[in-house]
Amino acid sequence: MRTNHIILAAVMAALAAAWFSIPAMAASKPSKPMPEATEEFVEKGRAIYFRRCSFCHGLLGDGEGPAAKYLDPRPRDFTLGTFKFRTTKSGELPTDEDLFRTVSRGLSGTAMQSFDSDLIKSGLGESDRWAVIAYIKTFAQEFDDPEYDPVKTGKVISLPAKRAPYNAETIAKGEAVFEKAKCWSCHGKLGRGDGNKEFRKDDWGFPIRIRNVTHPWKIKAGAEVEDIYMRFTTGISGTPMPSFVKTLNEEDRWNLASYIKSLQHQLTGHQALKAAPVQGALPESPDDAAWDAAEPMDIRLAGQVVAPPRWQNPSVEMVTLQALFNDEDIAFRLTWDDPFKDVVHDESQEFNPNEVSKVGAFNSYVEANGMVPRALETFRDSIALQFPVKPPKGTKKPHFYRGSSSDQVHLWVWKADRDEVGERGTEEGNARGWKQPIKAQAEDGQQIAGKAKWDQGRWTVVMKRPLRTGDKNDVQFEKGVFTPMSVNAWDGSNGEHGLIMSLSTWYYVFLEAPTPMSVYAYAALAFLIAGGLGFWLMRKAEKEEEPVEASA
Amino acid sequence: MKRFRIGGFLSVVLTLLVVYALVKWGIPAVSREVTTLPFPLPVPGTLMFFYMVLTIVALFMFVTFSEEGLTDFLRPVKKFLRGGYGKIPRAAILLAVPAVIGWQVYEIVVPKVEVPSSLRIQHPSSNFPKSFEAKENPFSKPTEAQVDAFIAQAEDNEIDLIPQVREDVELWMEEMDPDHMLEFFAVEPVKKFLAQLEAGEVDKETARAALMEKTLFEGRALYAMNCRACHGDSVAGDGPMADGFKLRPLNFTDNGTIETIVVGYTFWRVTNGGPGLPTEATPWDSAMPEWKLSLTEEERWKIILAEYDLAQKTPRIPESH
Repeated sequence: MRTNHIILAAVMAALAAAWFSIPAMAASKPSKPMPEATEEFVEKGRAIYFRRCSFCHGLLGDGEGPAAKYLDPRPRDFTLGTFKFRTTKSGELPTDEDLFRTVSRGLSGTAMQSFDSDLIKSGLGESDRWAVIAYIKTFAQEFDDPEYDPVKTGKVISLPAKRAPYNAETIAKGEAVFEKAKCWSCHGKLGRGDGNKEFRKDDWGFPIRIRNVTHPWKIKAGAEVEDIYMRFTTGISGTPMPSFVKTLNEEDRWNLASYIKSLQHQLTGHQALKAAPVQGALPESPDDAAWDAAEPMDIRLAGQVVAPPRWQNPSVEMVTLQALFNDEDIAFRLTWDDPFKDVVHDESQEFNPNEVSKVGAFNSYVEANGMVPRALETFRDSIALQFPVKPPKGTKKPHFYRGSSSDQVHLWVWKADRDEVGERGTEEGNARGWKQPIKAQAEDGQQIAGKAKWDQGRWTVVMKRPLRTGDKNDVQFEKGVFTPMSVNAWDGSNGEHGLIMSLSTWYYVFLEAPTPMSVYAYAALAFLIAGGLGFWLMRKAEKEEEPVEASA
Repeated sequence: MKRFRIGGFLSVVLTLLVVYALVKWGIPAVSREVTTLPFPLPVPGTLMFFYMVLTIVALFMFVTFSEEGLTDFLRPVKKFLRGGYGKIPRAAILLAVPAVIGWQVYEIVVPKVEVPSSLRIQHPSSNFPKSFEAKENPFSKPTEAQVDAFIAQAEDNEIDLIPQVREDVELWMEEMDPDHMLEFFAVEPVKKFLAQLEAGEVDKETARAALMEKTLFEGRALYAMNCRACHGDSVAGDGPMADGFKLRPLNFTDNGTIETIVVGYTFWRVTNGGPGLPTEATPWDSAMPEWKLSLTEEERWKIILAEYDLAQKTPRIPESH
C-alpha cells in the first residue's frame, strides 16, 4: 500500500513538472500530428480562417484582404504554394509542422502574430490551428500532389543531433564563415543589412529590405541559434536568401549561426538618459573619444499611427542616445541603423495627406507600396529630438505626439540633405500639436551645432546647444531635473517624410547635480559620534578593574 | 569528558546569523520546493526586519534575564575593549564600525536619482460625459426594419457592404461565381439563413443572427485595418507597433479591461482617445488616437462590436438598467 502511495506521488510530481515545461514548448511543436483533413475538419478550418485570417490573407487566400495593402511585408499568398519559413529543402513545400510553427508563434516583426491560445487568451487551440492549416492547404494544388509531399519524398531537413556549442570559439569560426560565404555582400560587414547599394525585389515584385541581423525583434522565424541555422540550410523561398546547404558544411552553418546570434543587440532597460559631466569643451564630432564616457540608452520607436497619415511600416525602430554636459553646454549623440544614406529631398514627391485625413476616409493609413515612393534618391533621412517648452510640473507633460495647442514642444530637427551640402544640419523649431507643421525658429534663435556621419549602415548625429538660452520657446536644462525627451525619425528611402515617420513616447534626460556638501557633513558627523562612543566605552572598560577570571 | 560551551556573546551572534540566513536563503529555497516554480518566492524586506527585531528582543530578554547571563554576555565585549584580543584588532573594529555607520548615513541622505513615476488611472471617470453612460451599440440589437431591409437585400443578392471589404468580396465572387454573394460567410447563422432563403421561408430570428454576422465581418475588417497594428491580431495588446509605446496598448483579453466598463465608455474612449483623457490618466503618454477624426460613428460602433466578440467578452450593463 505504502509503495503505491510513493509511486502515485512520483507520478503526480512528474506530471506537475511536465505541466510547467509545457508553455516553453507549446508555441512551436504540436502534441500530435495533423489530424486527417476530412471535409468536416476543413470546413471547421474555413470558419476559423473567415473570422481570423481573411482580413489580411483574403477570402481567396491570395493575400489580398482589406488590411493587406498597408502592410510590409505583405500577407502570404497561399495560392502560390511558396512558403518562406520551412524545414524543407530549397523550393519545396513546407511540412505540416512548419505551418503549425508559423501559425503558433507568428513571425516576429510582422503583422503575423502568435495564434497560440497557450500564449494569448483569444488565440487558437491546437485542434483549431490544425483545422485552419488543413483549410490553408486547400488554396494551393501542390499540397494535393504526393509528388510534392516533402515528407514522402524525403525533402525534410531535421536539426542534427550533435550541434556545436554557442561559445567564443564557434563565434570566431562563424565570423570567418561570414567572410568566406560573402554574407556581407547583402547583410553588410557588420550585419546591418547595408550590403546592397540598391533595393532588390522579391518574387512577388515588392522591394526587399535586407535583414539587419543585429535587431533580434525583426528576425521573423525566430532569433535562436537553431532558427538561424535552419534559415541558412533551407533558404527563404521567394527572396534572394539562398540555401547554403551545398556551399557550407553543417559545422560551418552552426558556427555561422553562433556568429549571427552574437551580433544581436541587447536593449538597455532604463528610461532616463544620464548625461555625463565633462571638464572642458564638449565634442561636436560623432567619433570623439569623449563619447565613450556617456552611458547609452536605447529608445524603441513605433510607426506613427496616432493620426492620419498613419504609417505602420517604420524603418527606424531603435535609436541609441548619449549625452554629455559641462557648465555651459549639453551635447546629444543619436545613433541609429539605416541601410541607405539618403541625402536628397524632392518636395514635389511628398504625399498629400488630405485624402486619408477625412472622417470616413477609406483608410487613414498610408499604403505600404504605391501611395509614397519608397526608393533611393527621393526623400532625406532625418531625426528629431523633442522636449517640452515649459518645465514639467509633476509628471504632467505635453502630448508625446508634438504637444497640443496649449502645451507646445521644442524640436531639434536634423536633416541629412542640409548636412550633406554643408549647411547647419539641425534646425530648432516649435510645434503645438501635429495638425500644423513644425515652425522653424528665427535665424538668430538657431543655436545647435554638431556634425553627422553615415558609415556601414549607421547614422551618428551630434547636437550641441547651451544649457540655457534666453529664448522663451526653448527647452532649458537644469542640473538635478528630469527633462522629458522623445524622438521622431525618418528613413527617406522607406518613403518617410512629414508625419509618415516613426516616433517614441516620452523618456527623460537627467543632468547629474553635484552632491550637496551637507550630505558629506552628515556622514562625517555620524562617523565621529559612533567613533567617540566606541572610544569612550574603551576608556571606561580600561578604567574598570580586571575581573577575576572565572576559572573554576 | 568536558562539555564544550560557547559563551553568551558568541551564542547571541550565532543566533542572529542563523535567523538571518534562514530568512534570507532558507525561505526562498523551501518555497521553490513547495511551489515547484522555477523561481523562489521573494521575501519582503519588512518581513526580514520583523524577524530580526523579534530575534533581537528575545535575545535581549534572554541575556538580561539574570545577572550572570549579562556578565557572561559582556565578558568578551569588555575583554575586547580592554585590548584583551590585541590592540590592532581593537583599533580596526573601533574604526570600522563608525565607518560603516557613516557610510549608511551617507546612503540615506544622498539625493536619489529616480525617474518620476506617475500613478495612472486606467478607467478615469472625472470627465466621462453622463450622456455616454447609457449609450447602446446601435448594431447590437438590429431593429425589425433593419432585419427586413437585410432580408430584402439578400433576396436581391445585393448585400450592402462597407467599401473596405467590397474589393475582396468582389475578387471572391469573380473567382467562385457563387449562387449567392453571402456564401463566403463560413458561419452557421448565415448558412442557415441562405438555406431558408432558397427554400423561400425566412424566419426573422435567423435573419437577425445573419445580419449580426455581417456587421461583425465588417467590424473585424475595420479592426484589422485600424486597430490591429497596436492591439494585435488577437486583441491582446501586442500588435507590431506595441513595443514602441512605453504605455502599452490595452490587452482586451485581460479581465478588468473592456468587460468592466459600459459600452458607452468604450465608445467614448475610442472617440476621444488619449487627448480626451483627464490628467489622472496621463493623456500625454497615451497613443490612443482620437478616432472621431478618422472613423465615422458607425465604423467605431462596428469595431467595438467586433472587438468584444474577438475578446470573447461582454460589456458591463449600465447601472440604471
